[in-house]
Amino acid sequence: MGKPIRITLKQANDMMGGLALQDFLVVSTSMFFIGIFGFLTRRNLITILMSVELILNSVNINFVAFNYFLHPEAMHGIFFAIFVIAVAAAEAAVAIAIIINIYRRFKSINIENVSEMKY
Amino acid sequence: MSTQILIPFFITAVFLVAAGITLAYMLSPKSFNLQKQEPYECGIPTVGVTWLQFNVGYYTFALLFLIFDVETVFLFPWAVVMKQIGLVGLVEILIFFFILVLGLAYAWKKHALVWQ
Amino acid sequence: MLLQYLSLMRQEVSLIFIAVLVLICELTVNQRYKKVVIPITLVLFGVHTILGFVPFDGGKLFGGMFATSHAQALMKSVLNVGVFIILLQSVAWLKKEVNFQKSNEFLILLFSTLTGMYFMISSGDFLMFYIGLEIASIPMAMLAAFDTFRSKSSEAGIKFLLNSALSSGILLFGISLFYAISGTIYFDDLPLYFSPVSPLFALGFIFFISGLAFKMSLVPFHLWTADVYEGSPTIVTSYFSVISKGAAAFITSILLFKVFFNQLYLWKDIIYLLSVLTMTVGNLFALRQTNIKRFLAFSSISQAGFILLGLVNVDSLGVTAIIYFILIYILSNLSAFGVVMAIANVTGKEEIKDYNGLYKTNPLLSLTMMLAMFSLAGIPPTAGFFSKFFLFTDAAKGGYYWLVFIAVLNTIISLYYYLLVVKAMFISPNEQPIERFRSDIYTRTALLITVVGIFAVGIYSPIFEYIRNIIDKF
Repeated sequence: MGKPIRITLKQANDMMGGLALQDFLVVSTSMFFIGIFGFLTRRNLITILMSVELILNSVNINFVAFNYFLHPEAMHGIFFAIFVIAVAAAEAAVAIAIIINIYRRFKSINIENVSEMKY
Repeated sequence: MSTQILIPFFITAVFLVAAGITLAYMLSPKSFNLQKQEPYECGIPTVGVTWLQFNVGYYTFALLFLIFDVETVFLFPWAVVMKQIGLVGLVEILIFFFILVLGLAYAWKKHALVWQ
Repeated sequence: MLLQYLSLMRQEVSLIFIAVLVLICELTVNQRYKKVVIPITLVLFGVHTILGFVPFDGGKLFGGMFATSHAQALMKSVLNVGVFIILLQSVAWLKKEVNFQKSNEFLILLFSTLTGMYFMISSGDFLMFYIGLEIASIPMAMLAAFDTFRSKSSEAGIKFLLNSALSSGILLFGISLFYAISGTIYFDDLPLYFSPVSPLFALGFIFFISGLAFKMSLVPFHLWTADVYEGSPTIVTSYFSVISKGAAAFITSILLFKVFFNQLYLWKDIIYLLSVLTMTVGNLFALRQTNIKRFLAFSSISQAGFILLGLVNVDSLGVTAIIYFILIYILSNLSAFGVVMAIANVTGKEEIKDYNGLYKTNPLLSLTMMLAMFSLAGIPPTAGFFSKFFLFTDAAKGGYYWLVFIAVLNTIISLYYYLLVVKAMFISPNEQPIERFRSDIYTRTALLITVVGIFAVGIYSPIFEYIRNIIDKF
């Protein structure tokens, strides 16, 4: 049994190589707007839910990247990300439960069919 | 230490996988017949359509698992600072557990844990 | 240490205690004695409401995550009053056979959302604010989808859940940009880092305010409101339209005045525009509604526009006027919803034309509904007049005369459609009006409280002074 491997912040920084904050922000912003686009254009409830999760995860990337690059002295960003993950799981659970019920009522989870109420 | 150090690892990994596949191809005995073209399903030919919908009962378990699994993420930050925050932290985590256990008991009472 | 926790978090602790108690009852109590749970909960919640008014000093907990003061305790108490009336109104609905088997779940979910709102109002940093927001909105989606046998209800639930998830995603993106600027998420430290002119801050603020506007259902973020209000069970609709909207308004005012007060030049115009749009569009859509729940939904959108009038001018009168307005709005809207619910429980009718000739068969209900409509429109002897008056005064004091002018015009438009309902009940003839019926003691008590409140809160001036004093200290 060897000693457990510990990576210091400095080493982690080195392993990150040439990646800068901008790279993370490009990924997270693209994810955010892909999520918004998917939310608006998709017709399947499960896919819409996936789009929402994409938005929440883009925010997580944002928080962790800002924490790491800009404000490494405290861990607010990482904690925010943990809580967002937990809340997203709760949200997904409730959404899927309601979607199952919708499937039982409407025999479909396409939002074209699931709309009894309109303007 | 930079990204360059990863290059030998990468080459080794590719080499190992390629070597495994090539050796197996060269050493293994070969035989061709029609049955090998069938999709493998526990050794017997499939009956009916294979694109079945799963029983909705699976989802109840999946949802319950999802919730209780994600809640454990909060135990790690507590475990890291357990010694510093002492009794207060312990009481808080016990309250957290108490409420979680109530949720599980509720699922139990409502027969969500029974396989129908 | 423990005593400090208990004294600062007394409202949260006692509410969670009630919720856990109901859950334990659901797990252990025999089905035969289940009837007792509802009255016991009512009594406990009543005690909780009254104890909420006992003054305690404020303070901070959890390293500043949780902050409370007299003003925040008062906001929670105002919500408590509304929830107590809703609980009274819900008894008749819960005792129906389809709902009775899950009555305890209804109570637990209701208390969970209220707990979320408490934590949201008392938040000292963005993390607590976000958690509170989600604790408030996830159980609310379950409440909207509570009638599992009705397809409209499930539809309302999923519409609400997806919309609220999207809006909290947008809001979180804004918060992450604030975090990038400041490196802190505490409300006390944040203003120090916000420079007067910063493009990144402006971007984050746009995201943030859009997320909040979704929750408050301000135009142009209101599209989910009408469908969710129509599809949900009526009791949940009334909860959505008063309690959840009130909590969102409270937290908006706290955030704008405590965290973003240096950026007044930035959000003043946004609030101005949102207010005008919300009042006008809400009114115009309310004009053409035929379903009474949809009608009340749009009328509540336009009322949210009036709440924003109190925000354009940063001073203590604004917050006082908002709290006062919401208290009166809770009373008037709950009295309208109480009548709608009493009728829907007995007959299942929800169209405005079904109310034709109601006065002949059910005079007391019609009079209550008329009072509620007058109060919502803001006709003098009722409290609704005074609440709108203070909001207008505050906006006029800040020099926003055009805004006040538009608001007055909108009040006149709203008078037209509120009077349409009154006309339907008192003047329009109907060959088969709703039969004469007598609702149960709980509903009648709730309606009595609201009617007394509509008169008393307006005429009895110490209530306004009481709120004013507490806000000034804050």
